[in-house]
Amino acid sequence: MKWIRAIVSLLIAAAAFWGLDNRHGMVPPAGKLVNPFAGFWQNGTRADKPPGELILPGLRDRVRVVWDARHVPHIFAANDHDLYFAQGYITARDRLWQMDFQARYAAGRLAEIIGRAGLESDRFNRRFGLGWAAERAAEAISRDPQARDTVEAYADGVNAYIGSLRRRDYPVEYKILDYSPEPWTLFNSGLLLKYMSYDLTSYNDDRWMTVARKALGEAVLDELFPFEPPPIADPIIPPGTPWDFKPVPLPKRGETAAPARAHDSASPTASFCPLADGPAPVPERPEIGSNNWAVSGTRTRSGRPILANDPHLRLTLPSIWYEIQLSAPGTNAAGVSLPGTPLVIIGHNDRIAWGFTNAGDDVLDWYAIKFKDESHGEYFYNGEWRKSSVRSEVIKVRGQKDVIDRVVYTHHGPVVWLEGEPEPSNKSVPAGAALRWEAHDPSNEFMTFYHLNRARNYEGYLEALASWDCPAQNFAYADVDGTIAIWHNGKYPLRQKGDGRYILDGSNSADEWRGWVPREHNPHVKNPPRGFVSSANQKPTDASYPYYLGWDYASFERGTRINQMLAAMKDITPEDMLRMQNDNLSLRARMAMSRLLRDIVDRDFTATEKWALEELKAWNCENLAGLAAPTIFSRFWSDFNEKTWNDEKKGDLWGMRWPRSEVVIDLILNHPDSEFFDDRTTPQKETMADIANAAFHSAVKQLQAECGPPGRSWTWGEWRRAGIGHLGRIPGFGRERLAMNGGGNAVNASGPGFGPSWRMVVELGPEVQAWGILPGGPSGNPGSPYYDSGVDDWLAGRAHPLLFLKSAEEAGPDVVAKTSLRGAK
Amino acid sequence: MIAVLVCLLAMLVFQLLTPFWWWIMIVPFAYGVAAAHTGGGAFFNGFLSAGLLWLGSSLCFFLTGSGIITARVVKMFGLGGSWLMIPATALVAAIAAAVSGYAGYAVRALVKRK
Repeated sequence: MKWIRAIVSLLIAAAAFWGLDNRHGMVPPAGKLVNPFAGFWQNGTRADKPPGELILPGLRDRVRVVWDARHVPHIFAANDHDLYFAQGYITARDRLWQMDFQARYAAGRLAEIIGRAGLESDRFNRRFGLGWAAERAAEAISRDPQARDTVEAYADGVNAYIGSLRRRDYPVEYKILDYSPEPWTLFNSGLLLKYMSYDLTSYNDDRWMTVARKALGEAVLDELFPFEPPPIADPIIPPGTPWDFKPVPLPKRGETAAPARAHDSASPTASFCPLADGPAPVPERPEIGSNNWAVSGTRTRSGRPILANDPHLRLTLPSIWYEIQLSAPGTNAAGVSLPGTPLVIIGHNDRIAWGFTNAGDDVLDWYAIKFKDESHGEYFYNGEWRKSSVRSEVIKVRGQKDVIDRVVYTHHGPVVWLEGEPEPSNKSVPAGAALRWEAHDPSNEFMTFYHLNRARNYEGYLEALASWDCPAQNFAYADVDGTIAIWHNGKYPLRQKGDGRYILDGSNSADEWRGWVPREHNPHVKNPPRGFVSSANQKPTDASYPYYLGWDYASFERGTRINQMLAAMKDITPEDMLRMQNDNLSLRARMAMSRLLRDIVDRDFTATEKWALEELKAWNCENLAGLAAPTIFSRFWSDFNEKTWNDEKKGDLWGMRWPRSEVVIDLILNHPDSEFFDDRTTPQKETMADIANAAFHSAVKQLQAECGPPGRSWTWGEWRRAGIGHLGRIPGFGRERLAMNGGGNAVNASGPGFGPSWRMVVELGPEVQAWGILPGGPSGNPGSPYYDSGVDDWLAGRAHPLLFLKSAEEAGPDVVAKTSLRGAK
Repeated sequence: MIAVLVCLLAMLVFQLLTPFWWWIMIVPFAYGVAAAHTGGGAFFNGFLSAGLLWLGSSLCFFLTGSGIITARVVKMFGLGGSWLMIPATALVAAIAAAVSGYAGYAVRALVKRK
């Protein structure tokens, strides 16, 4: 009896121990997590208090960190090494888990942490060659002493912080997911850069365009997806700007010049290597809307140039950006950095300011591969069988056996999805095609930031741009001398118009990239007569530009609206710029409804339809959270497109997208009798008015089913259910249900999960003044008030003055604490 | 009651010095093996000592800066108000320690005089 009692009670105690000490699926290890001495209770606000002094072996000299009232660090060092070491340490102090998680995600190592749930994303990222690309980037960085020293000093700083941690100090996400930080490396910084490239350049329609060409023919596609958008769209470089270069001749298809290849031999070194977040299955278009512009002093009240930038990315908590000031002899830059990489990425120094939007050019192509047999060991190329190579990706899965994925590489690049395998959830990937992607080429983009942080003038800015390959960006620029400029900058394959719009032939060198557009020929403009430069992800140039860079740019609304506003403004102030960043007008709605509202007529409307029509008629086309009209228009627009285009895209064409809004609006305003409005599935002929009425009817019907009778549930803020989720999708760790103004095609471009990830306005002058706001805060600790301290002001369209110190000794009401860092004695 | 206090202090020291949560099981187990007179005594010794330790310490952290993180963890678990996390934490410790203390006594009973 005693034995039985002892055994049973021991078993119960052991079960309790096992249950509380381990994670069960996604349920955290309760014993570890709720332990008051080392669990989540330790992740309170106590860590927010900056330390007075820290001894950090590795530092060469004294470093001072000044903390401002918003908990933003301003780092002052005596040399570059210490500056970036301290940046690594301080960033890790606030954002360790975020950088670690993002790097693991990019490397395809999520399953190590979360188990099988991470396997598909891991496999996909490895198939896409993110790790391979980061290895090549790491090699390129290591070859450049300046870049290597900067990135390594940063990594050493991060590791100094990791080394100082006791388990109780771990960010709370480690405790919930039950794992530990690992040493940070130069390779990790490369991974984050490549992940950014993935996020910004991987959207690709080659697969669906190829299917559509087969069904509809190239002429129809050229009409629906024109290379030159209708005139309502305004390019980045003002039309009529003379090109200050003599174009190089374009290689003709099949010319024998050596193709510009990802790598010459197909032999990458063998044996590389709901909480899960990551890119959406089909990459979301970054077009949801970054903006930047710079206005010349001739147009501002102060007579000084002003630069504004609001990059729009996936919104998460912790914020994707980390505010920081970095000062050492030869450099004093402030703005935002990317946790996991050194330097200020978007910001200003005492002489220049710079900001980015995504360029959106075509730097990713798919090549159809003909393999000899099922082993995929050889593929047909230029009349002979060529050997492919295999990179074995060993994916560690928590609590289970490793999964080994064989990724086949051709000389073009990796084959992401082999025929016969299950289709990846990213539907833009064609089966049996090799990926040729600019981001796979070795590059060293860190040097761009290194030089931008130090640039004194336009020449310094140009020097910085020279090392930027991918992801191509629109670099807006302004300086204290009064110069403004914008460069649409990246490394672009030299090719004929339309090359790469469809899946290419991988068996023939004729279809390959042949050389590059000379860097100085990239679209650019300096001090244009109109007194401003701007970009909003739209097509960079008009038809006069002699090179072909791509066809798939953002729709016209933001670019056109920004240019209209800037052209009409006088005596511009920084406040005006901030107001512009928060402009909610939908040019799409204004232009489309100017015509369609005439066509929607009350034929036995229900009470709700009558109300909805009145709402639309009374609407000033601003996407405000409290209005129902933006909701009605949004649903109407989507139904109008569906009824216009879905009869064209039947069967295999389901993945084809609708034409861009400028094409649709051009049809509405200038070609209302277009055949496209006829629904080919019915015997009678529909007109645009029929489609508009049917779309209005169905939109209201659906909204009524979704939201009930007219009321609060119809408002834009309620209906969109926009919020800012936690990076690891941990429930309760984000900010849900925010009543956001704006919309996908407003300057204040926002949508569920997307929006302005940083708003910045900089006025250049003897004293540079800057304002900024993050939809989050400096801290990555969900238990800190600084985790989401900016969200409410961001939502309301306010920005904070950004403290820009000249020295660590500078005092002021905004300086709240100082930390002194020293190396070991 | 003294035993409860001694166990509580022992756990406190071990928990302050190391990151391990399971001292709240080890200490009551050791008490059960070494000194408990009855199964019920061992059970309640663990229940009270660990429960009180985690109740007091979580309350202390809650009041000194861990309010925000508690609210978020409560949301993650889908519980009600933040303060509920304090008794919930105490209960986890109390039950784990109680079963462990009882198991310790059950082992002791095997070697005690027949």
